[in-house]
Amino acid sequence: MATEVEETIKRIQAHKGVMGVVIVNHEGIPIKSSLDNATSVLYAGLIGQLTEKARNVVREMDSTNELTFLRVRSRRHEILIAPDREFILIVIQNTSD
Amino acid sequence: MSSMSDRKAELERKKAKLQALREEKDRRRREKEQKDAEEALQRASAASSLDSRRDLDEMLSSLGVAPVKDVLSSLSSMTSLTPPQTASPDASLPHTDKSSLPLQGGAKKPAQLQVVSVQSTDIPPKENVTYAKQTQTTASGVTELRDGYMEDWWRPRKAHATDYYDEYNLNPGLEWEDEFTVLTFDGDAARQGDDEDAAFHGKLPPGILPHGLPTVKEVQPAVTAAPQEKKEEEKEKKVRELSVDEKQTIMLSAEFQRFISRAGRVIERALAESVDIYTDYTGGGDAENALDDKSDARLSLVRTFYDERWSRGRCVTCLDWSSAHPELMLASYHNSDDAPHDPDGVCLVWNTKFKKNTPEDIFHCQSPVMSATFARFHPNLILGGTYSGQIVLWDNRVQKRTPVQRTPLSSLAHTHPVYCLSVVGSQNAHNLISVSTDGRMCTWSLDMLSQPQETLELQHRQSKAVAVTCMGFPHGDVNNFVLGSEDGNVYTGSLYGQRAGVSDCIEAHAGPVTALSCHCAPAAADLAHLYLTASVDWSVKLWSSKENKALYSFEDSGDYVSDVRWSPTHPALFAAVDAAGRLDLWNLNRDTEVPVASIQAEGGVAFNRVSWTPAGTHVTAGDDAGKIWVYELAEHVAQPRHDEWTKFVYTLQELRNNQADEESDRLSLAASGPPSLTSLTSLASNPLR
Repeated sequence: MATEVEETIKRIQAHKGVMGVVIVNHEGIPIKSSLDNATSVLYAGLIGQLTEKARNVVREMDSTNELTFLRVRSRRHEILIAPDREFILIVIQNTSD
Repeated sequence: MSSMSDRKAELERKKAKLQALREEKDRRRREKEQKDAEEALQRASAASSLDSRRDLDEMLSSLGVAPVKDVLSSLSSMTSLTPPQTASPDASLPHTDKSSLPLQGGAKKPAQLQVVSVQSTDIPPKENVTYAKQTQTTASGVTELRDGYMEDWWRPRKAHATDYYDEYNLNPGLEWEDEFTVLTFDGDAARQGDDEDAAFHGKLPPGILPHGLPTVKEVQPAVTAAPQEKKEEEKEKKVRELSVDEKQTIMLSAEFQRFISRAGRVIERALAESVDIYTDYTGGGDAENALDDKSDARLSLVRTFYDERWSRGRCVTCLDWSSAHPELMLASYHNSDDAPHDPDGVCLVWNTKFKKNTPEDIFHCQSPVMSATFARFHPNLILGGTYSGQIVLWDNRVQKRTPVQRTPLSSLAHTHPVYCLSVVGSQNAHNLISVSTDGRMCTWSLDMLSQPQETLELQHRQSKAVAVTCMGFPHGDVNNFVLGSEDGNVYTGSLYGQRAGVSDCIEAHAGPVTALSCHCAPAAADLAHLYLTASVDWSVKLWSSKENKALYSFEDSGDYVSDVRWSPTHPALFAAVDAAGRLDLWNLNRDTEVPVASIQAEGGVAFNRVSWTPAGTHVTAGDDAGKIWVYELAEHVAQPRHDEWTKFVYTLQELRNNQADEESDRLSLAASGPPSLTSLTSLASNPLR
């Protein structure tokens, strides 16, 4: 079954423009990453907080609502964030090409 | 029971807190009174300038710091043992206020400068503390949000969560201070930095209460000790990195698998969408021209579906479309010689809506899948007929690629390859019909795949079994069916009634019939009798179930015709593919001699299956190497004009007339030698519009 996980991650990574894939658990600890350790920890911490904040924003506005996806677009990158109950999938994409 | 004691403890804690607040209030009131009195006294004593030290003391005490002489006394006793006042800020604060001030009148003259310098050394560490706090608060803020105020509903409630909640409500300021002192100082640091703490809290603005309350100390065993430990533990966890084993455990958990399959899908879709919402149109637009080039083509390749791992080298055996989600296409694949260790049978679900080029779902089983269909009325179920004779059932709600159910391999069911599979009926009464090449037709209920509801041996005149290769049910019919067989014949029959089984046989083709397609364009009940057959004899034939003769034979192809399909929207349009990799589009209203459009696939592949998108705007063709080619039709080809139906009826009539003419010609040819003039005119009157 773990092969399916690997397969999915490999597919995402193979996608054009993808610079990195990080999977973070709810405590902000990177579980799996294609980046080096320092960068993964940095992304995990920062995006974990951002996601938590966004989640709260959504829930504050409507308690029956829930955050499902988050895209952060910057001049150089786009960060795609797929949050879940326990984990967060982060994909960093290069948009400047 | 434990909850009772918990609650009791909580109550106690709350009581203690209230008590603390009350006392704090009292203390502050007393302080104020004292200060007022002092000020009055000062005014009365007419500003005795000689008392500069008293001023200093006053200033210090107003800030809540031990007055000069106190500090001095503590300094002198430092050598023996640390006095309690300086050791704990909690005790020292009220102590100094009460005890030192009345003694101020006493004339005591130690070296003042020394004292001040000691006091000043306290400031830098204090600033250090605030710095440490700031770095900690960001982190603690997060945990705090999690544990207390904005508690996540899904997380199991922590034992101390309510404490924070209550505290927050009672006094947000207090809560904040409390929160980060607990976090900032672990045991040793707190003890060490107590002096600095005292100094620091002496400077707190009046609105914010210092954390070092005397009462907090009293309650400490009940309240602060346990959460403090917990907090520290959590903090440690944050810093700690997970070991490889732990990561592996997480990755193997079912929850993680589910998450990946869900989030991965979303991410892939998001990645595949290359829409740049920041497109700048003020610049020169040169990307626009590229699109216009092929707009003229009637048939153009738009994309291909191919998976390196699961479809490479596998012949596409069947294509089907979901009725619930018209963008989903199901493709079944034969085994691959290149991948002997992978399962023989594969079914992939492709999504035509999103540009992501990976399958939506992957299913496999042990035997090659010869036919596959979405279970109509059950959007999550996918059925496959295998080479071994088993019928397998996959469910896309389950995190499993292997079938969730399969029929038994017994003499009651199929023991030969199942080439035909179809769900027939209505929402409330539908059955799965399957036919294997040994001529056995089974009717199944999807609720019970352990045995067929009915079996029917397909035999013609009790002689030998019909080797069925393809099957079709006329549009809207659930009883009558048409079968194509390996011997080149077409059989018609019915499922139920007195004469259930094969009733008629038509010698249709000179080779095995590869495909059969019943007319399915809507609002055309009077056309439901039409069907097409394709065969390895290089021809496609148009039939009507009302007649035993072919209405027309399309003989344009130069290879085995492997599949043929009517358009779901256009009454006179159909697509045919052959083993030379050619896709032909025929429009009977336009031309019956040559296809209106045809396209040759690159790479020397042989097409095996063809299908239409439910909207009739795209044609998909599956080849023998595992690739599915998606072709887009020009709108004027795909969309029927309003008069196409009447025109088609007219065309059919003309075809019949020609046929009759040819027949009479042949008869007359047999009777007299040369062909008559009438046959020439009839040929010329072929519909060529």
